[in-house]
Amino acid sequence: MAILEIKNVSKFFGGLAANSNVSFSVEEGTIMGLIGPNGAGKTTLFNCITGYYPPSKGEVVFDGRRMNGLDPDKVCMLGMVRTWQKVRPLAKLSVVDNVMVGALARTSSLKVARELAMEQIKVVRMEHRADFIAGGLPIGERKKLEVARALATQPKLLLLDEVMGGLNPAESEEIIQLILDIKQRGLTQMVIEHDMKAIMRISDRIVVLTSGEKLTEGSPQEVVSNPEVISAYLGEAHA
Amino acid sequence: MDKTILKAIAILAVLGGLLAIPRFVDSPYALHMMILLFMSVMMGQSWNILGGYAGQHSVGHAAYFGVGAYTTMMLMHTKQIAPWIGVWAGIALVVVVALIIGSICFRLRGPYFVLASIAVAEILRLSAINLTTLTNGAEGILATELPPFKVGGAIITDFATKVPFYYIGLFLVVLTVGVTYLVQHSKLGYFFQAIREDQDAAHSLGISISLYKNIALVLSAVLTSLAGSFYGIYVGFVDPPTVLGLDVSVQIMLICIIGGMGTLWGPVLGSLVLVPLSEALRSNMITEALVKIGLVSPESKIGIFLKENLSHAHVLLYGILVVVVILFMPDGLMGFIKKLAKRRKQEAV
Ligand SMILES: Nc1ncnc2c1ncn2[C@@H]1O[C@H](COP(=O)(O)OP(=O)(O)O)[C@@H](O)[C@H]1O
Ligand SMILES: [Mg+2]
Repeated sequence: MAILEIKNVSKFFGGLAANSNVSFSVEEGTIMGLIGPNGAGKTTLFNCITGYYPPSKGEVVFDGRRMNGLDPDKVCMLGMVRTWQKVRPLAKLSVVDNVMVGALARTSSLKVARELAMEQIKVVRMEHRADFIAGGLPIGERKKLEVARALATQPKLLLLDEVMGGLNPAESEEIIQLILDIKQRGLTQMVIEHDMKAIMRISDRIVVLTSGEKLTEGSPQEVVSNPEVISAYLGEAHA
Repeated sequence: MDKTILKAIAILAVLGGLLAIPRFVDSPYALHMMILLFMSVMMGQSWNILGGYAGQHSVGHAAYFGVGAYTTMMLMHTKQIAPWIGVWAGIALVVVVALIIGSICFRLRGPYFVLASIAVAEILRLSAINLTTLTNGAEGILATELPPFKVGGAIITDFATKVPFYYIGLFLVVLTVGVTYLVQHSKLGYFFQAIREDQDAAHSLGISISLYKNIALVLSAVLTSLAGSFYGIYVGFVDPPTVLGLDVSVQIMLICIIGGMGTLWGPVLGSLVLVPLSEALRSNMITEALVKIGLVSPESKIGIFLKENLSHAHVLLYGILVVVVILFMPDGLMGFIKKLAKRRKQEAV
């Protein structure tokens, strides 16, 4: 069953079509990869799905419910949460307080929230950092904090925007394992990634965006052997 | 011993001391200074909830202070309604004003919010000047005759001395600090700080930005209006510049900037610095002290200059103080003390 359906979504910024007529759906329990060169409109699509921008045209249906016009907080409460490509730690708060803010979406008790937060901090293996001030974390751990905080809101669908961006190979590998762990727990994910190799390993299906339009969609094998993808995406990456 | 228990004991000891002061001190001047200190803590702490925790730097808190003060005073003056009843009308009105201001100003972020908050307070100040039938305009309202406070027919106090005001002030301080403590240790405090640190991130984590900003504003406004009502009945006089002026808003904010925004004890520290300082400036104490220790002779040109000008220079000195604090203690005195404590701990290890 499709947990998320994106139907003919367009987003215009003045004359620029950051997304135009994009349609696809995400099956429950799977990982959907979203790739495309810089400026292809991937982050904009996340913004349209999660209520930061209303789509100029088209419809977003999550869990059988039309999402257009809902604010980001409502979207989160309905079970869809995103992380940020440009990380947004609550800089003056500790790691555990950051994750507690996420957990407080589902409980009003600080005690319960702290327990839920510690669980998610364990998932991303940052127990030793729990009391560290988030603003002082290195980039690799900031990315993991984004994931833990999002998980703490207990989503049905997790949207990850370039969580491996700017990480070294060892850190990226750790994130890949983390994403596969999360899938094991039955959570649906949509993952934006620039690194083709990583996205091939984790995705069940992949959508390719270029200049705001959906170029193609398919299994990782289908996508990687599509000559259009190779010229549009890999061509740029290897240029 | 447990650190929180030690803290609780320290707080109770200070509170006990404060409760006992009027028994041992009968100088009206000393009590007056304590009352000013209480008023300052209240004002700073009320602003702190919105500005310090939720990060919405209102420079228009005179609006709530003034509406509280005016409502209580007008009801007492024209309708002979006792201030402890009038204060509730002030609170109700302030809630309405706050929600109107919130619906306008919270559409804006950062410097635009600051400008809008100033503008709204200025509109209220100008209204108070011009709505003469209601507010008596620029002349202000003089109402010094407080009815005696009775409980079940027995007169508790007739407000003949400063002592009842001292206890009311102390009670209001405990109330505002208590409310702030509860906010800090609840979901509200977490959500306020999340909005302060990163509004978009907070939004994506399920926090309704407009709802929680408005909750912070209403809490902050209600406590500020209480401080305003207390000011009104204590001084017995309100007029537009003293309760609705821009410098009231700035003064409220300074208490937090100097003490430390978004901390429970910051406004207390800020008040402990600002209240004595402004009193020393007002009463020319600094010049007298310089003369006493022989640094300046009272007949010299410098002595005469200081005597004539220092008491008018408080705005300048405040400005210098703020610049020093922002440059050297960006998190206020509270942040500075925490940093020192941390350093000492690290050196000890
Ligand atoms: N708020 C905005 N206003 C104007 N243009 C925008 C805005 N957000 C994104 N864009 C433009 O939309 C295009 C797609 O951007 P984005 O979605 O960030 O791409 P990607 O995430 O795929 O790298 C870019 O050309 C970008 O400059
Ligand atoms: Mg992007």
